[in-house]
Amino acid sequence: MSFRAFVAICLCKLLRGLSRVLRRGGTAMPGRWALKVCPELLSILARGVKTVAITGTNGKTTTARMIEQAFTEQGKSYFANRSGANLISGITTEFVMNSTLLGKCRKEYAVIECDEAAAVKVFPQLRPQVVVVTNLFRDQLDRYGEVTHTLENIRTALTSLREPITVCLNADCSLTASLRELHHEIRFFGIDRGAVPSGERSELSDASHCIRCKTEYEYDYITYGHLGGYRCPACGYRRPDADYAVTDIPAQTAEGSSIVLRARGKRYLAEVNLPAMYNVYNAIGAVAAVTEMGLGTEAAISAVASFKCGFGRMENFALGRVGAKLMLVKNPAGCNQVLDFLQNVKEKFVLVVCLNDRAADGTDVSWIWDAGFEKLCALSGRLEKVIVSGDRAPDMAVRIKYAGVDPRFVEIERDYEKLVTALESEDRLVCMIPTYTAMLELRETLIRHCGGDEFWV
Amino acid sequence: MELKICHLYPDVLNLYGDGGNIRCLTQRLHWRGIGASVTKMPIGARESLAGFDLVFIGGGQDFEQQVLLDDLHRGRDRELVAAIEDGVCVLAICGGYQMLGAYYETHEGERCDFVGALDLCTVGAKKRMIGNYMFRVPEELGGFTVVGFENHSGKTRLGSGVEPLGRVLAGFGNNGEDGTEGARYKNVFGTYSHGPLLPKNPAFADLLLRRALERKTGSGELSPLDDTLELMAHDEMCARLERSGK
Repeated sequence: MSFRAFVAICLCKLLRGLSRVLRRGGTAMPGRWALKVCPELLSILARGVKTVAITGTNGKTTTARMIEQAFTEQGKSYFANRSGANLISGITTEFVMNSTLLGKCRKEYAVIECDEAAAVKVFPQLRPQVVVVTNLFRDQLDRYGEVTHTLENIRTALTSLREPITVCLNADCSLTASLRELHHEIRFFGIDRGAVPSGERSELSDASHCIRCKTEYEYDYITYGHLGGYRCPACGYRRPDADYAVTDIPAQTAEGSSIVLRARGKRYLAEVNLPAMYNVYNAIGAVAAVTEMGLGTEAAISAVASFKCGFGRMENFALGRVGAKLMLVKNPAGCNQVLDFLQNVKEKFVLVVCLNDRAADGTDVSWIWDAGFEKLCALSGRLEKVIVSGDRAPDMAVRIKYAGVDPRFVEIERDYEKLVTALESEDRLVCMIPTYTAMLELRETLIRHCGGDEFWV
Repeated sequence: MELKICHLYPDVLNLYGDGGNIRCLTQRLHWRGIGASVTKMPIGARESLAGFDLVFIGGGQDFEQQVLLDDLHRGRDRELVAAIEDGVCVLAICGGYQMLGAYYETHEGERCDFVGALDLCTVGAKKRMIGNYMFRVPEELGGFTVVGFENHSGKTRLGSGVEPLGRVLAGFGNNGEDGTEGARYKNVFGTYSHGPLLPKNPAFADLLLRRALERKTGSGELSPLDDTLELMAHDEMCARLERSGK
């Protein structure tokens, strides 16, 4: 190891220690400085570590945590980064913190969530053994640009890895599955036809036309958004058969799903300890990754059944008499899934929507008009109050008004302290759907009031 | 009475919550007891544009642009020109706005011929113009401010045949240089303010509805609505842009 790398590691550890003591700055800053001193630092530290990397638009964090659960349960020596540290700077900090001063990693494995735009920088240095691409949806157009642009970024990142690795792709996403032409070992995961009743084809599809020839797709079935059994009538591009497939979903409740899955030719019954269809995708993606990392499918199934996500993803809090659910939303596809989940809530509830427009949320809030808040109207009788909050609360209130909800049921409360205090005497279930930075603040307030895990940076 | 609204190319021009504008128009009619029908005209639809009172065209991604151009040049372009000359009310946003102009030239110099209904053209620039922005429409349209979000790399220049829709107060507008934003010609309104433009600019929404109703029935009178929430969203963004402008 070079002297530069040694200096960079020392600097990074020092800055991280200081930022912890001062309770300031996140995980990104120390890594950023370290990379300035030694630009190839991550590549030095990642040498010899068996890494699984998770990227894509939605479900990165949940999939990564499910994979991590398997590593914990199997007693493996591993470390993982947190969603707030998924750029090259944050990932580098995590590697430094798990390495000796001489750059030797203390752990055998790493579970790394990677921002989809950062993959181009991260993958060549990280050289993961397995990569999972969850899906690609329209997200933060002000930051990422068009969805095909994000796809090309990931393609470039994977192409830059000369040694073949294993890449697990979502078969049901026509964009993601187009990465199949790479020189890597490709494994597909997905939900087979007949596992769920087909959804309706949305006019607001993020991928309505063939990625190869631009002809409009035909669909055998749709699970949600543009995901499902697509095929191009002109060039024959179609959904591939899945190596890791959900073949049936016998039960779906507000707590989770029972699924039948097929992996490497064997059938398994599995429980997914999180509700909603998108978590079925996260689970099957995690099963693929854990199996391909060599831990075995049984280990993966045990992990998705016992797994509790937390950190704003279907996280429960003891707030009020019934409790509160915190459900992060980031883009139309994810928001629609949460709105679908609300349709399955059987009891009366209060909805809290917090809309921020900071850099991490996306500065353009137009996307709320692509999400089907009209579905809230079908909840009359159960949904009795909507409280909007966040930097762009009035925009959210307007959205809900035009969705057809009577504005008399809509309240604006921008102070989280007051909001949570008022909800402490609530005798109905509270469902909270914040954007990313709103979630961080709201969650902190919730923990202060009702306990829970500390913010794990 | 029913206002007939056409949503042109909702399958490819739907990038930024554009549906919010249609939703806004129909709700504001509905709250006033006026009916509205929305007809979606995707790529390949062959129905005529004649007979519509209001046409909405949204913004799109580059990926589908060729699909769109092929369809336009199968006769939809001539039809749009005829409808516009006939005084049909049109709201065109971002990509849809550029599309009504004469052409688009990429930064590399590649040129695409567009509809040519409006005397304007667009040239691609390297740097994207992104962010919340604000402009004021001239007195004859009501003199109100409009807040929105722009995200475009194309720089649009207006010819002498069109008027700017407004003057930029904060942000970039047509090209970030001459202070103009959007374009206006007969009953056509083109703007870079994408996504949910109308919901938080109710004065603009009602301007479009009045124009369309006037042409259809001879009277553009609209009863007032309670716009408390809409104006709160509007005013907060105005205040934020004014603060950051100082």
